[in-house]
Amino acid sequence: MFLAHINPLQASIFSSLAIVSLLLTFVMLGSHWLRNYVYAFAAQSWLIAALSASVGYFSGYKELYAIAVLTALFRGLVLPWLLMRIVGRLNVKREIHAVLQPSSSLVIGAFAVMFAFVISNHMNGQQQSAAHVVVLALTIMLSMKFLGFLMLAVRDEAVSQILALLVLENGIFLGSQILVPGMPLLIEIVILFDLLIVVACFGMLVRFLVVHAGTTSSRELNRLVG
Amino acid sequence: MGRVLLLILFVAPLAAILLSLGFRRARVAEYATVAAGVIDLIVSVPLLLRSLSGTLIFGNDYIKLDALAAWVILCISIVYALSSIYAVGYMRLLNEEERLPLFYALFSGFAFTMLAACVMNNAGVFWIAIELTTLISTFLVGFEREAESTEAAWKYIVVVSGGISLALLGTVLFYWGSSFVLGPSYAMTWIALHASAPKVYPPLLLVSFLLVLVGYGTKAGLAPMHTWLPDAHSESPAPVSAMLSGALLNASMLGIARFLGVVSGTSITRFAHSAVVGFGIFSFVLAALFIVRQTGIKRLMAYSSVEHIGVQALGLGFGGPLGVAGALFHMLNHSLNKSLMFFGAGNAMRAYGTKEISRIRRVLKTFPVSGVLWLLGALGIAGAPPFALFLSEFTILRAGIGGRYRWVAIVFIVFLIVVFIGFLAHFRSMYFDEAPEGEVSRLSGVVWRTLPMWLAFLPLLLLGLWWPHGLWDVFAKIYSDVMGGIQ
Amino acid sequence: MILSNEILQVCQVLCVLLLAPLLQGFILKAEERVQRSRGPSIFQPYRDLWKLFHKQSVVPESASWIYFIAPILAFTAMLIVPILIPVLTDRPLPLSDMGDMLGGGMILTLGSFAIILAGLDSGNVYGGIGSSRAVMLAILAEPTLILVLVGVSLLAKAMLPFVVNHLLLESASTYWSPAHLFLIPAFLALLLVETDKLPIHSSTHLEIYMIDEARILEYSGPLYALLKWASMMKQFILYIIFCNVFLLPWGLSQLGTPFGQLGSVGALLLKFLLVALVVVVVETVQSRLRFYRYQEPLAAGFLFAVLAIVSSQLF
Repeated sequence: MFLAHINPLQASIFSSLAIVSLLLTFVMLGSHWLRNYVYAFAAQSWLIAALSASVGYFSGYKELYAIAVLTALFRGLVLPWLLMRIVGRLNVKREIHAVLQPSSSLVIGAFAVMFAFVISNHMNGQQQSAAHVVVLALTIMLSMKFLGFLMLAVRDEAVSQILALLVLENGIFLGSQILVPGMPLLIEIVILFDLLIVVACFGMLVRFLVVHAGTTSSRELNRLVG
Repeated sequence: MGRVLLLILFVAPLAAILLSLGFRRARVAEYATVAAGVIDLIVSVPLLLRSLSGTLIFGNDYIKLDALAAWVILCISIVYALSSIYAVGYMRLLNEEERLPLFYALFSGFAFTMLAACVMNNAGVFWIAIELTTLISTFLVGFEREAESTEAAWKYIVVVSGGISLALLGTVLFYWGSSFVLGPSYAMTWIALHASAPKVYPPLLLVSFLLVLVGYGTKAGLAPMHTWLPDAHSESPAPVSAMLSGALLNASMLGIARFLGVVSGTSITRFAHSAVVGFGIFSFVLAALFIVRQTGIKRLMAYSSVEHIGVQALGLGFGGPLGVAGALFHMLNHSLNKSLMFFGAGNAMRAYGTKEISRIRRVLKTFPVSGVLWLLGALGIAGAPPFALFLSEFTILRAGIGGRYRWVAIVFIVFLIVVFIGFLAHFRSMYFDEAPEGEVSRLSGVVWRTLPMWLAFLPLLLLGLWWPHGLWDVFAKIYSDVMGGIQ
Repeated sequence: MILSNEILQVCQVLCVLLLAPLLQGFILKAEERVQRSRGPSIFQPYRDLWKLFHKQSVVPESASWIYFIAPILAFTAMLIVPILIPVLTDRPLPLSDMGDMLGGGMILTLGSFAIILAGLDSGNVYGGIGSSRAVMLAILAEPTLILVLVGVSLLAKAMLPFVVNHLLLESASTYWSPAHLFLIPAFLALLLVETDKLPIHSSTHLEIYMIDEARILEYSGPLYALLKWASMMKQFILYIIFCNVFLLPWGLSQLGTPFGQLGSVGALLLKFLLVALVVVVVETVQSRLRFYRYQEPLAAGFLFAVLAIVSSQLF
């Protein structure tokens, strides 16, 4: 296992990149402006690309360099650009938080991180020398999942919900880079392109929403009940 | 021989897509799709027979055709064929001639991705195929560009994407868990996962399985993750609803079944089965309660889908040869029956111009022949003999009542009665209540819209009276190969 | 010549007492200079205190004994806390065992509590407003403060600030560990709130925004001077904790010679210069938050504290 043989320098690089990604998720959770969400997401994608490259450098899986470049390009540039286009086309610039204030979301997010830590500790039964990096990777993967679902649950705007889904995927990607860097290249590349298609579909759907339903806020999409 | 058949199976929808998009004419698209559907149906039967004699693996280990895949392919092909025939008649009523080629292209694309998902050997690529089905079907759901359809499409894609991202997390955790046994880089085939599962740390295995269950359960429509289902199934055009209910849910249940097979024989097997049973019975009870209070005809059918997916989950969860056989037989019967019901509902909606049950009255006067079929289909879907769903539900009950899940089986029986009464109460009011004065339009394309109903009804009746012995062989083979053999 | 422990202790308290107005003067002047006006001299707070001590005290009729006790209590609390924390020396002096970090936090809060009571005491409307708003801020800040102290204790496996100081000096990996790096912004958020800097600028004179000024609206003369001095000392103490325990633990005298003491005073002033510049920049760049958004910076601080605690378990 690659993780069994890492030295403290590598561990601290992976850890710092992962933790700052988690912080950017909190930035997304706590801000009011839609553009800030997209910027935070772009920064997060760049960090994950850097993580990918460093894992590739230290572990010797050369294909991770290609994945890092593709991640930086598609998740870090193309996706945010597409999202900014969607945001620009909408009438709303900031999100009105109807259900949960950003500060409360931050606090709930903090508890989610603690819960994720407890689960990760429980799940990691293998006795290995780099146990803390493994638990960190699992914690951050799970907490980004929780935070993504929290954003999905309390956010009204369509763009915020798209970003929440992308955060979910980012979390899995980050975790998989640290835990399973040897995963076959095909799957990683296809998942990457899959995201691109997803966002393109979302873009089209948001346009339909604006045209036909008149709004992109899911608070007002309540014609179908029961 | 098997490879040739598979090639035909996949080339047919692709050809339909190309023809639809290339010629951009509605008639060409219609006939191409119908042809593709019928070809797929014809090809799927020998595929099933071929799979009985041995599992076929090729394509660098990426494609695997075993009995389970062939069975689900059969179910999907039946729905594809019937829906494409129905779509010809139904979509002509929508007055959207220019966009029909796009519709049929998406339709065949949807069928293609579902068929592809069945034969995927690699858990990661399986996930990708399921994700593609979501993306394509979103545009089918939102095809009628109205506020409600767009809203339904939005909810569908958001909820389901969120759900299957959980499945992706579960898959990655499965990969990680097994990487301690198989090394850091290996192909994530079902067999490889199953072989290494006993040696994976049990809590990790359990969390991965639960994540996959919730993830693919969202796609399959298990409660409480079913919230997208009533909206998507009720707002899409009727042939698409039939495909969603009859085919897509089956493909997702395939994922759950495969993962259940992966963890069979490990220390968490009992917990995994209990989790599946828990979701199944919860879906069943919830759907039963919602069915009683429904006001829309297609939402009623959608909740009935939730109910039947719950039954399938119960069958898989109860386990054993009877449970698995019941669940798989239920897959086939539900596909047939639900397609019949959605076709009838589509007819009624177009004729009466409304989705409300309270405004659909005196159906027999409007549809003398297909109305009878629809009523008999309603009896069937509520679980009455002599229709096939009764047999499969009875088998699942037999599997459940003898073992640890006795009380679940009793709750199942009680709520079956609730569903029967609630569902048929709606149909009673639609058929036998007094009608207010209203316009009922005469629709064209009767043959196109009635023929698939006959084609769905006859096997339903036949299978309800006679359970072919060959099917028992198929189910036994699936049980021993995929679902673990020993319970 | 090594000074005796008692003299060192007295030196610490005197340092806080005498240099607190200098820090306040510096911050006020820096804020004004950044906004391109001349600003008061940095010794102005000394002159203000001198003037106030020579003024007459006007006491409201409805004041009770709390009115007189509260400023004295606050002032005394601020004199006690420097005994407990590393101000000039980096080894614990005898009386610093009186209380650990939690105890120091409690005494600081005791001073604030006394002033809150004083605000309520005379029955003035503005006193009530000020006290209730101050209590709300205290409620929001308290969990963060406790979690920061817990985080520091988990990091150093001890509750004494001196141990933390030594740990940070000795091992660079602890200094750069995520737990410590998260604690710094958490405490910075607390620092900004407790010393009444934007975005919750509570020492403004406009009634609609008043928090701290409202509590002491009734005071005048020497009692008012004591209260102002107490708040300046609180700011100084918080800066000491921020620098010596969290951010810049260098520059403390180890042996206790007079030359070492002067040197560490100089180092203290230098460190404060850096932190004060940062604080001034933060003040100038932001605007005041709406009342209902006061929890946001504190929630962010809370978040950082929680992340620090989680990280400390992982490393």
